Amino acid sequence: MSSRSGRAREYETSDQLPGRSASPPAPEFSETEAEGLIFYHMDLYGSKERFDIFPEEPSGQVDRSLGDTRRESTLNSEKFQCSQEAGYDLEKEVAELARMYGLDEDREKELELLGGHLETVESKWPPAHAEKAGSQGSVHNASKSSSPVKDQSQTTKQQGLPSEASQDGDQSKARVEDEAESHTWSREGLSSGGMSDEWSSQPVSEEEEAADVFCCTCKMPIRAFDKLFGEHKDHEVAQLPSAVESEKEEIHKNMCKLEEQIAQMENFASHLEEIFITVEENFGRQEQNFEAHYNDAVQVLAQKYEEQLEALGEEKRQKLEALYGQLVSCGEHLDTCKELTDATQELFLENNKASFMKAAVTMVDRLEEFLKKEVHLELSTLPDFEERVIDFSEVEQLMNSINTIPAPCAPVINPQAPNTATGTSLRVCWGLFSDDTVECYQLCYKPVSTERHSDEQAEHTLKVKETYCTITNLLPNTQYEFWVSAVNVSGISPPSERAVYVTAPSPPTIKTKKIRSCENAALVCWESRDINPVDSYTVELSKLTDEENGEITESIVGIPNCEVLIHLQPTQSYRICVRALNLGGSSERSEPVLIHTTGTYFCLNEDTAHPLLAILDDGFTIACDELENPECDLPVYDNSFTRCIGILGSLIPFPGKHYWEVEVEEDTEYRIGVAFENTPRHGYLGANNSSWCMRHIITPSRHKYEFLHSGMTPDIRITVPPKRIGILLDYKNCKLSFFNADIAQHLYTFSSQFQHYVHPCFALETPGILRIHTGIATPPWTALP
Amino acid sequence: MALKQVSSNKCFEGFQKVFEHDSAELKCKMKFGIYLPPKAETGKCPVLYWLSGLTCTEQNFITKAGFHQAAAEHGLIVVAPDTSPRGCNVEGEDESWDFGTGAGFYVDATEDPWKTNYRMYSYIKDELPKLINANFPTDPERMSIFGHSMGGHGALILALKNPGKYKSVSAFAPICNPMQCQWGKKALGGYLGSDASKWEAYDATQLVKSYPDSHLDILIDQGKDDQFLSAGQLLPDNFIAACTERKIPVVFRLQQGYDHSYFFIATFINDHIKHHAKYLNA
Repeated sequence: MSSRSGRAREYETSDQLPGRSASPPAPEFSETEAEGLIFYHMDLYGSKERFDIFPEEPSGQVDRSLGDTRRESTLNSEKFQCSQEAGYDLEKEVAELARMYGLDEDREKELELLGGHLETVESKWPPAHAEKAGSQGSVHNASKSSSPVKDQSQTTKQQGLPSEASQDGDQSKARVEDEAESHTWSREGLSSGGMSDEWSSQPVSEEEEAADVFCCTCKMPIRAFDKLFGEHKDHEVAQLPSAVESEKEEIHKNMCKLEEQIAQMENFASHLEEIFITVEENFGRQEQNFEAHYNDAVQVLAQKYEEQLEALGEEKRQKLEALYGQLVSCGEHLDTCKELTDATQELFLENNKASFMKAAVTMVDRLEEFLKKEVHLELSTLPDFEERVIDFSEVEQLMNSINTIPAPCAPVINPQAPNTATGTSLRVCWGLFSDDTVECYQLCYKPVSTERHSDEQAEHTLKVKETYCTITNLLPNTQYEFWVSAVNVSGISPPSERAVYVTAPSPPTIKTKKIRSCENAALVCWESRDINPVDSYTVELSKLTDEENGEITESIVGIPNCEVLIHLQPTQSYRICVRALNLGGSSERSEPVLIHTTGTYFCLNEDTAHPLLAILDDGFTIACDELENPECDLPVYDNSFTRCIGILGSLIPFPGKHYWEVEVEEDTEYRIGVAFENTPRHGYLGANNSSWCMRHIITPSRHKYEFLHSGMTPDIRITVPPKRIGILLDYKNCKLSFFNADIAQHLYTFSSQFQHYVHPCFALETPGILRIHTGIATPPWTALP
Repeated sequence: MALKQVSSNKCFEGFQKVFEHDSAELKCKMKFGIYLPPKAETGKCPVLYWLSGLTCTEQNFITKAGFHQAAAEHGLIVVAPDTSPRGCNVEGEDESWDFGTGAGFYVDATEDPWKTNYRMYSYIKDELPKLINANFPTDPERMSIFGHSMGGHGALILALKNPGKYKSVSAFAPICNPMQCQWGKKALGGYLGSDASKWEAYDATQLVKSYPDSHLDILIDQGKDDQFLSAGQLLPDNFIAACTERKIPVVFRLQQGYDHSYFFIATFINDHIKHHAKYLNA
């Protein structure tokens, strides 16, 4: 209490508040004042006079001394606290702080100065330390002179100080002595080192000429003679050259060790330099942190102080008004008394009895009436002020938070690293600029939507301990937006920038029905299962052998389309998979397909089929049940044959040889061969220059075979109607040959320079079926027709 | 069986040679042409026998057909014998161009005065192959036969009468059914007698009917403008009909505009060489 009141007084010296609260009643009072009342006036407003005086001298003195010594008191606040009673610790600390920052009107300036001070203190530590005792004294002198009432605690503090100062003095003195000692010691060390050098070199130079062996025991070269008879008689010796060798080796080893140490020390030195920088950085951060927190604390204190002071001033005003009222009524009473006394005295001077009596009666009544009135001599208000509890809890909280870690800065989210995503998961990484203390991170994400109301998309939040996280259960080939905040006890950082990551695509689906292959190549096509486009595709192929099954032997990367022509080796089996790629990574493998490079494999192009032509379930048997209305009303696709009941196959566009067979029935009329993709759909196969085919017709007398191109055929008789026709397309030799495959009989060969790639073609001219066989190795007998 | 080289000319890195020898079968000196492909210098090669037509000697084929390049390419030895015994002084042998000298018809004659010397069937079938195999780097297991006109007839009957002996057979405008044509009737009647049933043994169309179920790929080219076709000397339709019935595989190509000459042969000789090479080199 006592110390607090002392503080309050000090505040008043620099504050306008007291003046404001005191002055309004004063003019009123002085106008209405009677001289006799000055006594009261003096008593009540005595303090005001002091207020007028104080700001001029003592408060200025305090300010100056405070300004000078602030840093010292900060540094030594710990020591002050030690010397205080335990119960006062907190109060004292707050008081010190308040005195440091709260006393002056221009606090901000002071705070700026404080920053500078702290820095200088850091660099000039020892001098400040030495000056401490003296300046400390001046602080307390100032405070003594400024506060007329010296309380117990202050005395204690002052008493404690000199002894501390002297202790410090002792310590520094001891340190100086230590240093001196160490100096002498090192000098001694040096001199002794020099001495030992001299000592060790002497014997070597003396005995060099004669020495021929080395005494291992004495570690010195000696003459062989000494070994036999001298003092080294029983000592272990070695030949000098070998001894020199071993010694050199030893020295070399030590040299190596020295070099290692040098390297170590250099590393350590550079590490230290880094640490220096880190210390500087950490200091800067910590400084800022302190500044911010202390600022807060001071602001809160100033605010509290103003509130308290206002309340106090209000109370004072009320008290004074009450007392003033009482005083006025008291004066009125006195006036009445005086008047009555005067009237009574006048009455006593009245000589006329009758008039006296007449007046006396009224006078007595008046007196009686007046005396009947009670005289209130109790104070309407007490001079004591209401006890006010100063609430420091908020400041305390602020003070506590000064020592805790600052809230972290916003983390930096990394852009997506390649190949870190799968179709359903993403690995997100982020980092921090500085070494913030972070308890965990709050990772948020949501799918990126092109629609406007993307905000309605559900946001997900995760708590993560590490600086990375793998998020699962995502949609394939989808963009997600990520942002992250760092969290510690002091709070949560602002969120990082938003980073867009994309999940890997879904595995594509290979169109197994559209695969085409031949001995040296395969054409594989697939479709993406994602709506969003992907960057490219990778095809993985493995050659299947008896020993190793399914090892990846080749990858074709960067395929932009959903189709690729792969060069392969003949008569092998391959397993082929496709992956889709985007920025995030590659999809899982597609379902594999097996490709055998035995013969040529193609499929039928259903789009080209005449409406009357049926493809059976195996995909390679075509049938025609009826021939009526060949140009009927059945639905016709744009690409389908309209007159000839035919169909095209889809042959791989690859040069080289292609062989396939067609199984026919003896009584079926057909046309089989090849045609350009754009061969007229309304014509007959072989009737134009874009198709080449073998035609079978049954005449009343015989089976007739035509080999048609542009409607022309050679006259050829075939005695054995073929049941299985082999067709060899040889781009390189510009030939298309037909064989009776059952008996390896060559039937006919077209020689034609095929300008474009052709496709197999098949047509039925009577009800019946044609069975197409692919994937057959080209028979050797086709080599020479 | 001594061979006497008559000529030797380098041709397509191989050699076209002509030899003369004393034939035991024909009891006279016989010449034959033989083309040795370059491959014959290092290894054994299959032999393709060519039988020429009426009036021809061993020279016609080797000088006119232009077969050498294809034969060199496929490594075939091509042997072209004469078409009849010569200088045997058989009465009447030089009276007509379609009988006697130059028209042996590839039969073993049974009638006098022909039966001593006119044994061309046995000569082509046995003596010549034996001679060739003994003197040249051949593979005796691989031989084929082809011919033109009367030689086409000879090739067909040799193949049909000896299933398996020849890997393949082909013919240019062969006399397919000699029993039914003027040439055939004259020759077969002269060499074999008037009993037509004996002729059947040398008639391709007849032989097909009794040919066992053994694979034989027959290629026949016929010029459509061949005067002997229209004259009914060749009768390929009869042969084709017989083959169709017996399911003997034949590809018969009626070549528009071609006649009976060696120009026709030269045009399609490569197809025939390839046809044989396919089986001989299989």
